[in-house]
Amino acid sequence: MLKLIIGIVLGAVLSVTVIFQTAGSFMFEERESPFTVEETVARIQQNVEKAGNGWALFGLRYPARPVEATGVSILPVMAIEACSPKYSGPILKDDKTRFLSLLMPCKISVYKKSDGKVYIGTMNAGLIGKFFGPLVAETMEHVVADQKNFLEFDPSQPAPPLILPKATTGGGGGAAAGGC
Amino acid sequence: MKANTILRIAAWISCVLVSSAQAAPVAPTLTDKLPAVAKGTTDHSKLKELQKPFKTGPEVTKACLECHNEAANQVQHTKHWTWEVVDAATGKKLGKKNIINNFCTTTISNEEDCMACHAGYGWHDKTFDFSKQENVDCLICHDSTGTYRKLPGDAGHPVYERKEFPHGSGKFVEAVDLNKVAQTVQLPSRRNCGSCHFFGAGANGTKHGDLDTSLIEPGKHLDVHMDAKGLNFSCVTCHKTTDHQVSGSRYEMTASRTGPATPRGKYDEHPAACQSCHSDKPHHENPLLMERLNAHTDKLACQTCHIPEYARNSIGTEKVWDWSTATTMDADGKRFAYKDSAGRRAFDSKKGNWTWDSFLIPEYRWFNGKVDFKVVGDKIDPTHVVEINSPQGSANEPGARIWPFKVHRGKQAYDPELKNLLIVHTAAEDDTALWHNYNWPKAIKAGMEVAGLPWSGKYDFVSTEMSWPITHMVAPKHDAVGCAQCHQNDGRLKGIAGVWLPGQDRNGLIDTLGWLMVGLASLGVLIHGGARVCVLCRPKKNEGKDEQ
Repeated sequence: MLKLIIGIVLGAVLSVTVIFQTAGSFMFEERESPFTVEETVARIQQNVEKAGNGWALFGLRYPARPVEATGVSILPVMAIEACSPKYSGPILKDDKTRFLSLLMPCKISVYKKSDGKVYIGTMNAGLIGKFFGPLVAETMEHVVADQKNFLEFDPSQPAPPLILPKATTGGGGGAAAGGC
Repeated sequence: MKANTILRIAAWISCVLVSSAQAAPVAPTLTDKLPAVAKGTTDHSKLKELQKPFKTGPEVTKACLECHNEAANQVQHTKHWTWEVVDAATGKKLGKKNIINNFCTTTISNEEDCMACHAGYGWHDKTFDFSKQENVDCLICHDSTGTYRKLPGDAGHPVYERKEFPHGSGKFVEAVDLNKVAQTVQLPSRRNCGSCHFFGAGANGTKHGDLDTSLIEPGKHLDVHMDAKGLNFSCVTCHKTTDHQVSGSRYEMTASRTGPATPRGKYDEHPAACQSCHSDKPHHENPLLMERLNAHTDKLACQTCHIPEYARNSIGTEKVWDWSTATTMDADGKRFAYKDSAGRRAFDSKKGNWTWDSFLIPEYRWFNGKVDFKVVGDKIDPTHVVEINSPQGSANEPGARIWPFKVHRGKQAYDPELKNLLIVHTAAEDDTALWHNYNWPKAIKAGMEVAGLPWSGKYDFVSTEMSWPITHMVAPKHDAVGCAQCHQNDGRLKGIAGVWLPGQDRNGLIDTLGWLMVGLASLGVLIHGGARVCVLCRPKKNEGKDEQ
């Protein structure tokens, strides 16, 4: 009996450790981009604008800049913010899920690493959605489908220009009315 | 009288006493009645030589020479004037006047445009008089106003009349106020040097990769030495200049320097080298690391670790210039151009295609300070990528170090029969210039005639590359390249011969022995542990007897 209990406890500890170590990689996804940081951002922005379903660009942020201001040399990072009131509206309307505004607007991060390659980082919205009930899960399924299209590039098309936000603080844009 | 009123009066009296004590008259000093100290020893605005109206640059130079009567002669002995360097080892004539690069390719036959960056006036063609002192341009290096501009097409003269630039753009450049500029001269600032060196090859940041306008007022993250709020070095702080001879040329580089630091003021034959101030054992802070880090200095240039990426800003730098697509017109047969996502030039019918990027990891090579250049007329092998300049050096040379380079790649015109790179007359508004007539044969014919070289009448495009040592944009020390970026498989120094890198390089025998020991140790642990488990699990003999 003692052996059985020890076995269960060890198994539980092992499982928790494995989950703790790997959960991060499930929550976020990373892929390589064949383009420069700016071109990757511009192509994603173009895809967002063409996506329909209420998607609109919400802002473009430069998280590395405040770090540079402290005298630290840092590789470039650009964060695209996009929002669709069609998807955010029902979540924000429900008191039980309104706290998920923390995850809004949707962010796609484009950055260079010290290997010289450019990467795109996204949140695994599908998995996260599953933790918060059927409404969020269903909404996130749609978001995931659209996000997949944001990251499909046609290299035969010329590089579009970067869309710079009107205000450097981010914000503005068509989705603002939707409550993002 | 209330207590608080008494307290207020007491406080007021004490304040008056204290302030009157502070305001006590200080004994006048000898300097009180003197004017405030100026930055330099001469206020040029007070010199009568500079108080007359100047219509041209040479007129200003004549006025300068009335006091600085050796200055022009000194300048005329420098590369900034001759655009020529003789390689002491080979006798080969180098410099912008003699080499072909893979950006704009050549100054020959294009002087009207290129000489916007010459420290002189009126170099239209090969008839330019290099001995005429009033043709020396003092102001390009000594202007403090930031208004002194020289444009392509004027053979080195500044803007004398308001003019549209670029032609047809609707943007105008104002005429330079030569009097104002002449009366406010200063020692060269980063802006002065940058007015040419930041714009090499026709656009901000194009050529070098570690020089662009972000260095006019840089932050510490971009360059610890030039940090505008910190050390605030100007270019000439490192490029120590004597008699107008600026040290630290790309043509005469110091790849390594050994020994202690010889700070400014002491004689140093390599004043622009990092070690001149930092010595060849520069790491002191961390006693655990300093020995290891200092042991790297006999193999690595300082720049290799301390410039982790170049073009570390949104300006970026040009990676590729492909001339083979130049003269491509739109569907209506008209010139067209477009930019990349970051707003940098990507194509122009005049010049072909470009590729740009920022935050680039250098390519690394052994370098002993010598560079073998292709000059006008040299033979090439078009079956391989033509190295227009090849840095020399190997692991066996004590003076060689592993250096970071920007490698600029391109395609440019060559003669498939005579096997040499072609001189193309690109600039100017005449009918033989490529940027005017979009006709390669006409432009090549004109260029080769000016150069005095034969041309078979045929042309094609060959892949070329040029290597540019990276030495500016030094990052703060905590942002230097980390150990693991080299000491790993596929690390930054992959392919560098003659150096054994732990973490990257392998010795099969040592690896086999090591793993064998790990295996045997693990086996021993398993056998020992297994035996103990067996012993623990075996029922004790006494227990059985008790049960009976």
